Amino acid sequence: MNFAFTEEQEELRKSARSFLENYSSSERVREMMETESGYDKEVWTRIGQELGWPSLHIPEEYGGSGFSYVELIAVMEEMGTTLLCSPFFSSVCLAANALLQGSNDKLKKEHLPGIASGDTIATLAFTEPNGRWGADGITSTAVSDGGDFLLNGVKSFVIDGHTAQLLIVAARTEGTTGTDGVSLFAVPADTAGVSSRALNTMDLTRKQAEITLENVRVPSNALLTDAGAAWPALSKTLDLAAVALAAEQVGGAQRCLDTSVEYAKVRVQFGRPIGSFQAIKHKCADMLLEVESARSAAYYAGWAAAEDNEELSTVAPLAKAYCSDAYFHCAAENIQIHGGIGFTWEHDAHLYFKRAKSAEIFLGDATYHRELLAQRIGL
Amino acid sequence: MNIVVLVKQIPDPAGPSELEDDYTLDRNCKLILDESDSYGVEIALQLRETSGGGEVTLVSMAPNKEVSGIRTALAMGAEKAILVTDDALSGADALTTAKVLAKAIERAGDYDLVIGATESTDGYVGTVPAAIAELLGLPSVTFAKKIEVQEGKIVVQRQTEAGYDLIEAPLPAMISVTAGVVEPRYPSFKGIMAAKKKPCDIIGVSDLGLDVSAGWGQEILSVEDAPARAAGEKIEDDGESYLKIVEFLENKKII
Repeated sequence: MNFAFTEEQEELRKSARSFLENYSSSERVREMMETESGYDKEVWTRIGQELGWPSLHIPEEYGGSGFSYVELIAVMEEMGTTLLCSPFFSSVCLAANALLQGSNDKLKKEHLPGIASGDTIATLAFTEPNGRWGADGITSTAVSDGGDFLLNGVKSFVIDGHTAQLLIVAARTEGTTGTDGVSLFAVPADTAGVSSRALNTMDLTRKQAEITLENVRVPSNALLTDAGAAWPALSKTLDLAAVALAAEQVGGAQRCLDTSVEYAKVRVQFGRPIGSFQAIKHKCADMLLEVESARSAAYYAGWAAAEDNEELSTVAPLAKAYCSDAYFHCAAENIQIHGGIGFTWEHDAHLYFKRAKSAEIFLGDATYHRELLAQRIGL
Repeated sequence: MNIVVLVKQIPDPAGPSELEDDYTLDRNCKLILDESDSYGVEIALQLRETSGGGEVTLVSMAPNKEVSGIRTALAMGAEKAILVTDDALSGADALTTAKVLAKAIERAGDYDLVIGATESTDGYVGTVPAAIAELLGLPSVTFAKKIEVQEGKIVVQRQTEAGYDLIEAPLPAMISVTAGVVEPRYPSFKGIMAAKKKPCDIIGVSDLGLDVSAGWGQEILSVEDAPARAAGEKIEDDGESYLKIVEFLENKKII
């Protein structure tokens, strides 16, 4: 077991860092925040074609590069550092993982190469207006109709749901509850009966949409797994997405710590840099402790995901819970340490604060994940 | 089209740096690709792609068999590398470096073009490309910002203060490129992994048939800190301070 990144993985990180420095600067992020799509097509094309990030963990037989989740979390962390606005998380960490966890090889061959090259933007339409993250939250229905299925319901908080060409939709067989009867369908966004509407969200760096399904007819071969038996695949997809999001949170938290420390050294008050005051020192020390612990948790979870071992189901909620708290706390302290300037629109502190909040809540907050962890270890 | 690119591996300019007893830079640390060389690598890769074939060979001189910086350039897409590494070269001056690199370039096989940076980020001597051209008997074109290959010759835009000169030279030629003229590509993980398997020929001075035991005609006697910037002049703005600025610029004969 080796937790250190290899020299090659460090090179990947370096390459990602220099790309993001140029293409995910504060100015770029703010530009993208103002758009409805929320991402720069040209930058996304380069990420797909030149840098190959979406292909990293997708197996070669499905058009990917066949590397592992460790490489994926390394770039996720870097993306979190600069708040990259892109459909990476939705397409790769949600949709591609769902397809990979499913058993439908034909769907994998059809859709994964497009996701790997960045040509296909895809997402997972799982949550609903009830805002619940467990299987109970799924109330959309899938009714068998002459060999096809008819989907009905409303999906909400769907990341990039208004720009995705492919939706992985969770719906349940009527009359079932909980983890029973859940199915996943690959639904092209232009299928009749599918409509989407961009949502107004606090975190403008990551767009969300509401998707309405009205008698959407899909063939049975759009099922990712056997009908009604998708919960294990969906649950694991959510674990994998949580691990990726945790890594992204680490990157963001680290940036908050870095900017806080930098500012504490140069901002002079009462004739001394504010970093020399205990009140600020202690804040920075607490942030460092949290960032380091969060990083260890996220890396460990990334390793468990890469190994696809049984620990994933426990370390994923652990990492998501810890990293959510850590990022939000660091983002909030970052504003405090910056004082008045930290409250201004021009300073980036609020961008990280908002991303920290949306990431904290997405896939379930820390309390939800601690409960999930308790259940999974049999407490 | 076969192109040789000179790449220097230097201590990270962002990190702390130390001097050796002979006042040369301590290079016994992890070295990285000099950013100013990444432009030459990018230009070489583009020229190779346009010409539809050939190889890009990297030539480097560094202590301790250091290949980290070379790997970065290989990850970008170069095919192979030659590294000269020899304790005898520690502290070598620019002319000796040029002699070593010229011999190493000859080892690279047939080439149409040799590309280097204008100057390195750690030494800033800036004479190596021209010295190599002389040693190899090649035409030397410096400060290139754009290179186009035509039938048996190159057409180069040579950057000047006012604009650029258009220069033609027969092939093979030695060209030094200015920093920032192209955007060096970002290595993908596939490229990074492939770089691990690309050939890197590590050789010493004797393999090149050179003898540097006589040393070089350069010795650094002392190193001084750059003088601290003198304090500026503060002017309280009474609404007329722009006149002071105009006066200042006039005195400097800027306006």
